[in-house]
Amino acid sequence: MRVVVILTLLILGLSAVAGREKSETPQGAITLSEPNSPFVAFDVWVKAGSQNDPKGKEGLAALTASLLSNSSTLQDSYPQILSKLYPIAGGYSANVDKEMTTFTGRIHRDNLDAFYGLFRNALLSPAFKEEDFKRVKAQAVNDAKQSRRFSNDEELSKELLYWQIFKGTPYEHPAQGYVASVESITLDDVKAFYSRYYTRDNVVVGVAGGYPPGFPVRVRSDFAGLRAGRVEVLPKPAPAPGDGINILIVEKNVISTPISFGFPISLLRSDPDFYAMMLANSWLGEHRESVGHLYQVIREKRGLNYGDYSYIEAFPQGYSTQIPPVNVSRRSQIFEVWLRPVAMTAPGNLHDRALFAFRAALREVAALTENGMTPEAFDTQRAYLKNYYVNFGNTVGRRLAYRLDDAFYGIPDPGFFASTPKGLDALSREQANAAIHKHLRHSGLWVVFITEDAEGLKRKLLAGVPTNITYAGKQPQAILDEDKIIAAYPVTVKEPNITVLNINDVFEK
Amino acid sequence: MRIFLILVVTIGLAAVALAGPPSGKTFPYDYRLVILPNGFKAYLIKAGAPGQIAYLTVVRTGAREEWEPNKTGFAHFFEHIMFRGTDKYPDYDSVTTRIGAARNASTSADVTQYYLVAASSSLEQIIDLESDRFMNLKYSEPVFRTEAGAILGEFSQGRANPRLYLMEKLMDTAFDVHTYKHLTIGFEKDVRAMPEGYQYSIRFHERYYRPENCVLLLAGDFDVNRAEQLIRKYYSPWKPGYVMPEIKPEPPQTAPKEATAEFPGRTLPILAVAYKGPAWSATDRLAVASEVLGRVAFGPNSDIYRRLVIQDQKVQSLSAGFGLNRDPNLLTITTMINNPEDLPAIKNEIRSTVEKFRTGPCDAKLLADTKSAMRYGFLMQLETPLGIDSALREYAVFTGGVEAVEDYYRTLESVTAEDVEAAANKYLVEAGRTTVVLLPARGGAQ
Repeated sequence: MRVVVILTLLILGLSAVAGREKSETPQGAITLSEPNSPFVAFDVWVKAGSQNDPKGKEGLAALTASLLSNSSTLQDSYPQILSKLYPIAGGYSANVDKEMTTFTGRIHRDNLDAFYGLFRNALLSPAFKEEDFKRVKAQAVNDAKQSRRFSNDEELSKELLYWQIFKGTPYEHPAQGYVASVESITLDDVKAFYSRYYTRDNVVVGVAGGYPPGFPVRVRSDFAGLRAGRVEVLPKPAPAPGDGINILIVEKNVISTPISFGFPISLLRSDPDFYAMMLANSWLGEHRESVGHLYQVIREKRGLNYGDYSYIEAFPQGYSTQIPPVNVSRRSQIFEVWLRPVAMTAPGNLHDRALFAFRAALREVAALTENGMTPEAFDTQRAYLKNYYVNFGNTVGRRLAYRLDDAFYGIPDPGFFASTPKGLDALSREQANAAIHKHLRHSGLWVVFITEDAEGLKRKLLAGVPTNITYAGKQPQAILDEDKIIAAYPVTVKEPNITVLNINDVFEK
Repeated sequence: MRIFLILVVTIGLAAVALAGPPSGKTFPYDYRLVILPNGFKAYLIKAGAPGQIAYLTVVRTGAREEWEPNKTGFAHFFEHIMFRGTDKYPDYDSVTTRIGAARNASTSADVTQYYLVAASSSLEQIIDLESDRFMNLKYSEPVFRTEAGAILGEFSQGRANPRLYLMEKLMDTAFDVHTYKHLTIGFEKDVRAMPEGYQYSIRFHERYYRPENCVLLLAGDFDVNRAEQLIRKYYSPWKPGYVMPEIKPEPPQTAPKEATAEFPGRTLPILAVAYKGPAWSATDRLAVASEVLGRVAFGPNSDIYRRLVIQDQKVQSLSAGFGLNRDPNLLTITTMINNPEDLPAIKNEIRSTVEKFRTGPCDAKLLADTKSAMRYGFLMQLETPLGIDSALREYAVFTGGVEAVEDYYRTLESVTAEDVEAAANKYLVEAGRTTVVLLPARGGAQ
C-alpha cells in the first residue's frame, strides 16, 4: 500500500517538475512532449506482473495481457480491429515481467485518433469472448509445451537460472507459466485477474511524442473509467543467499551448450552504487558488444562461442535486442553471466569446452571482484559508456518507458536515463572498485548448463579434473599458457548441489 | 560540459526535426549524393536525432555471391573478419570503444551491411576507420581460424530453431542451381570446413570489397559539406576492381516439388508453400503487385487468415513472405498447424486461396488499405538515424542507390486489382510450387 502512495506522489512530482508540461500531465499519467516528432508513443503500465499469479495459475498475468492485446472489444470484433489497424501500419502489444505489465504502441501522428480509439478500447472494454480466449490460450500452451523448450536453448538457460535463484519466491516461475498451470487457466481466471489488477488506481498511462495539446488529459480521463481499487503490494522477494556452487544440468539432444550463471544482488537502479556497477558491468560484459572483457577472453581470443556478456539487471530476450529492455523493473535483481552456446570447433569433448568456458568466465569475475578495474580500464570504459548509453533512449517510446521505470524505482527528475552522464562523471575509480567489491563475488553461485549426457557432465564436475581444450588454429604461447590455468581453475561442487533434469520435465509444472 | 550533455539527452534527442516532405515524395528528407571517380557512392541525409549519426555501409554481396562449390556461408564469415583490424588500426574494437559507438553487422541473401551509431563529433574518425578497413583489412591465419569457432556457435544456435530448420530444407528443395539454394549461414559441411579457407577469404575481399560494389548511407546530424570533403579524402584512394560472381540463373521449374523436414525436437507441424517469384523491381508493376498479393491474400486481413487463425483456430500462425530479392526468389506462405491431421486440409485451403486470386480481382478496399499499410510501414521506420538508413538499405542493395524509393511508391500507387490478379496468374503456378512440411523427428523428440 505504501508503495502505491509513494508512486502516486512521485508521478505528481514528475509532472510538477516538467515545467511547461505541468498543466498537460494529469495525475496517474507520465508524459514526454516532443512536439516536432511525427510519432506518438503509448506505454500503459499496470502495476502487476507474474509475481501476482495465483499458485497453480502461473502464467495468468501474461495470458491476461496477451488476451487484451489480441482480441475483440465491446466496440469491435478482433477481425475488425485488425482491419482498422492495418492501413495505418499500427499495432500494440503487451509485455509481462515479474512486477510490471505494460501495453505499448506507436503510431504516425497522421493516424493518432484511429489508433488511440482501438488501443484504449483494448484495455478498457475487452469483450472477453470465449473464442478469443481459446485462440490466445492455445498459443500460450504451444509456447510452454514446445517453443520455449525446443527453439531457443540460450533463452531457456537464462530463464532456468532465475527459476533456480528465486525458488520459493513470487519471482520463481517464468512469466509464461508452466505447461500444467497454463493449461488450467480459464476465462473466468482472466476476468478475475483483470478485475483485481486493472483498476484506475493501479494503472499509469504514459504518452510521448508529437501529440496535440490536451491529449494526455483526454487519455487519463478515459482511463479513469476503469473501476476503482487499490492493490496490495507484495513483499519484496528475498532469494536465499546461496552457498557454494549450485548446478542445474538439463539433459537435451544438442550440438552446443549454453551456460548461464549468477547470484542475487541487493543492487537496484535507484541505489547510489548503480552507476559504478553499470560501468564495471559494461567493462566486464556489455551486452552484445565486443568491448566486454568476457567477450574478449572467450570469443575474440579463443573463438569458443558467439558471445559472452554480463548483467546487473534483468535482460529478458537478449538474443533479439542490442539495447537493454525497458519496463522490466524489479525490486530484486541478480548478477548474471550469459555464455552463448559453446560448440565443438576443434577436436576434443563438448563438456570440456563448456566447462573451460565456464571456468574462464568465473575466473574473470573473480579477478574483477578481487582486483577491481585498472585506471586505464576505468577511464576508457567511462568514456565509452558516456557515448554508448545514448542509444538506450533512441526512440520516443523508449524515452517514455525510462520515465515509467523511474516512477517504479522512485528516481526523481530528470530520471535515470538523462542522469547517466552526470552519474558516470561523478564516479571515482575508488568508488567503482569499492562497489565491485561489495556487490560481486565468485562463490555462492547458481549455474545452468543445457547439454547431452548430463550425467557425464555431472561426473566430470565432481571429479574436478582439468578440462583442457584444443584449437582449430595456432594460438600464441601466452594464450596456451593461460589456458592451463583456466582449465584447472577450481570449481568445487558437492554432489547434492547438482541437479539433473530432462528437457521434457523442464517447466512442466 | 555536463549541462550540455543533459541538454542533448532531454531536449536535443527528443526534437526529431521533421521537415515537411518535398511535395509528392514518399521519403520526407532531402539528401546529397556523392559519387567518387572509383565508383563509390555516398548518400548524405541530414535528418534524425541531433548530435548523432548512423553510418551504414552496404556491400552488395551476400550469400547470393557464394557461387563456388564448398564455399557457402563465406559472405557471413567475412562479415566477422571485417572487425579484425588493419595496419593502421590493428584493434578495431578499441577505437570504437573510445568513441562509444554502437556498431554491428549482418549478412543476408543479397547484402552484407556494417553500421556504427555514434556522436556527430566522431564523424571524421569514423570515416577514417571505416574507409581504412574496407580498403586495408589485414588478419592472420590463426585469427581467421579462431573466428571460425564463433561461426560454428552461431550455426548451432540456428539449428535449434524449427523455423530455420524448415527454411533450410525449403531453399535446398526449391532451387537446383541458383545460390539461393543455401541459407546465409551456409551448409553445415562448409561451415565446419571454414577454418581451412584463409586464402579464399583474401580472394573474397579482393573481389567484392570494392568501391563500385559499396554504398554508404550516412544519416543524422552533421555538416554535409564537411562530410563530403572527408568522404572524398578518405575513400578516393580505394581502387576499383569488382569481379562479377558467376551465379547461374535458376532454370524454370517444370513440376511441383514436395519434401519433409524432421526436426530433432518438439514442435507443432509447420507447413511452407512456396512459389517462384520475380526479381525485385521499383518499376515493374507485376513485381510490386506480387508483394501486394502476399499481404492481400494471406495477410492478417485476408479471408484465409480470419478463417484459419481467428475463427476455426486450426493454425497458430499464418504469414506470407512475399518480399522480393535481387534475383527471383520464393513467395512463401508459412503456417504452424495445431493438429497434424489437418495438414492436408490446410494445404488445400492455401491452394484454393491461390486459385481464387488467380481467377478474379482482389477487393478494392483491401488493396487501398494495403498500399496505405506499406507506405506508413515505411514512414514508421524513419524515427532514428539508423532507422532511416535501414529503411533505405534495400534500395541501395537492389539498385546501387536510393532514388528508386520514389519510383517504388509511385509504382505501388498505380497497382490495380487486375495487376494483383495478373501477378497471381504469372507467379502462383503449380509447376513453380515447392511444399515442405516440418515435423518432429520420429522418436527424436526426447
